[in-house]
Amino acid sequence: MTWLVWRQYRTQGAIASVLLAAAAAVILVDGFQIASHWHSILVTCAGNGGCLSQQGPLVNGVVSDLPYLTLIVPVVLGMLWGAPLVAHELETRTSDFVWAQSVTRTRWLIVKTGWLLLAAGICGGALAALTTWWSGPINALSATAFDPGQFDTQGIVPIGYAVFAMALGIATGTVARRTLPAIAVVLGGFIAVRLLISNLLRPHYITAVTTYYHLTGSFTPPGQAWVLGQGGVSPTGVTVPQGWGSLGTVALGSCQKLLGVGPQTKGGSPAAILSCLQAHGWRGFATYQPADRYWPFQGIETGIYLLLAAALIAVTFAIVRRRDA
Amino acid sequence: MSMAIETHELSKRYRRVSALTHCTVTVPQGRVCALVGPNGAGKTTLLRMLAGMASPTSGTASVLGGAPRQDPAFLSEVGFLAQEIPLYRRFTGEDHIRIGTHLNQRWDAALARTRLAELRIPLHQPVGTLSGGQRAQVALALTLAKRPRLLLLDEPFAALDPLARQNFLATLTSAVADAAGRLTLVLSSHLVTDLERVCDHIILLAGSRVQIYGDIDTLLAEHKVLAGPNQDTGPIERTHQVVHTVTTGGRPTLLVRLSGPVTDPACQAEDVTLEDLVLAYMGAGEASAAKHLTTVGEDS
Repeated sequence: MTWLVWRQYRTQGAIASVLLAAAAAVILVDGFQIASHWHSILVTCAGNGGCLSQQGPLVNGVVSDLPYLTLIVPVVLGMLWGAPLVAHELETRTSDFVWAQSVTRTRWLIVKTGWLLLAAGICGGALAALTTWWSGPINALSATAFDPGQFDTQGIVPIGYAVFAMALGIATGTVARRTLPAIAVVLGGFIAVRLLISNLLRPHYITAVTTYYHLTGSFTPPGQAWVLGQGGVSPTGVTVPQGWGSLGTVALGSCQKLLGVGPQTKGGSPAAILSCLQAHGWRGFATYQPADRYWPFQGIETGIYLLLAAALIAVTFAIVRRRDA
Repeated sequence: MSMAIETHELSKRYRRVSALTHCTVTVPQGRVCALVGPNGAGKTTLLRMLAGMASPTSGTASVLGGAPRQDPAFLSEVGFLAQEIPLYRRFTGEDHIRIGTHLNQRWDAALARTRLAELRIPLHQPVGTLSGGQRAQVALALTLAKRPRLLLLDEPFAALDPLARQNFLATLTSAVADAAGRLTLVLSSHLVTDLERVCDHIILLAGSRVQIYGDIDTLLAEHKVLAGPNQDTGPIERTHQVVHTVTTGGRPTLLVRLSGPVTDPACQAEDVTLEDLVLAYMGAGEASAAKHLTTVGEDS
């Protein structure tokens, strides 16, 4: 069976390997340049934090888009390799040839999906490893570990995305029995699932930490934490987002009333208002995911995508085993 | 005599459409069986169920002693060649032979190579570039290389010109001869003339139902064309089973299945040909199918 998989995918596999090698070469060459540039900055600044923050972006132009390869390649693999896996065999009726040999459909599917899911995982993992290494200095300069541009392209989540995209392609092709509609559904479905999970689920993988602080002071969570919300909260639990303007419109009015200051006086300095609010039980709050949750979050998200992939593959097996060929 | 195929009330429905209805047939081992019927009669459905490619809605099938199933032991005994002659168009004949080597425990690669070499079919050219007849030969050689005990061929002649047909039949007959009674063959076609020379057994389907099946010689002996002296066919109908009646010039000609000797001395009894027999039963089947259609209201 493995020989058949190799025979069917050797051309595509060779093309993909060449493209992956080319991308790797570009990332490696560029990555070493960034690294040496970064090293010279470190020497120049020599422990001076202000100097570091004054440095311009480390990468410019096309190479700054390299991390997007980790986002695009998985879904492309799902569309080009996953969707036709069953659908194309049914369309060209080659299923009648291959399923008439002495290998059960189950075994045929195990071997084919096994190799392709493995290939997808390797592609996703290789690109993620390269991108993570390439981004090292950039990560150090910016405090954005949980930003989609970083979180989604580095670490281990790209492996989950790649395996999921491949499984989505295989399952959709099996249900649709036709390659082209399946390709369209894979593209739309992959984007939809990614958006849903990253926007709705990801902030809640672990209950966020909330810290309260003196309104007149300030608070920044340590390290590259993911701040989900920050602002002021009243004694009764009314929250107001950060920023003087919005804090002003609600809180300002209530404090003016509390202070007995008429609106005509346009109530004093911001600091005075904040002191007033603080005096009346208002506090500052910050809700965030601490920086040390980066790897647990990577692990949880990868797990979610692998579970989704497993469910899709299970559906595929159920259909291929039961449905008439 | 052990049976290669035995079905009991085998039925298949696709949504509201009956593809095969209460099919009960037997094919003894070592026979070459013609599966005949008009397009849409259920030939492909029956073959696919026997090959384990489709599962029945109701009824049972026993193929080589067991139900058709997804298990290597069963699959290796049955060779199935679908009507579309499915092959990987970009792969060469040699690629297909090697796929077979990897996907079958028992695989006679030399047999496939020899047959294709005899037919001068290029082995190292994508099969998509071969002619329809050559492709059919490649597919048949691959099916035979499995060395199956039951070979199911769906409309194998559909895509072939007369010469290719002859080559194909020659390959088949030599395969049957080589197997010395170990190989059972079922070939489907909507034309019985294609199969007459090679088959000794027949299953006739029309309107998703079995019209008749059995040993061809026995069936031919059991049926006669009776031309009565007068228009009163009553006595014949009372003693024999009338399959089909044709009236020419006011004189009825009846194709009957004999239930005893023809006693009326005025009645001329003539032997039937296989084609007469098939056409008579097909006509009967079509008529009952048409009746069935109006009552059920089929959509397809």
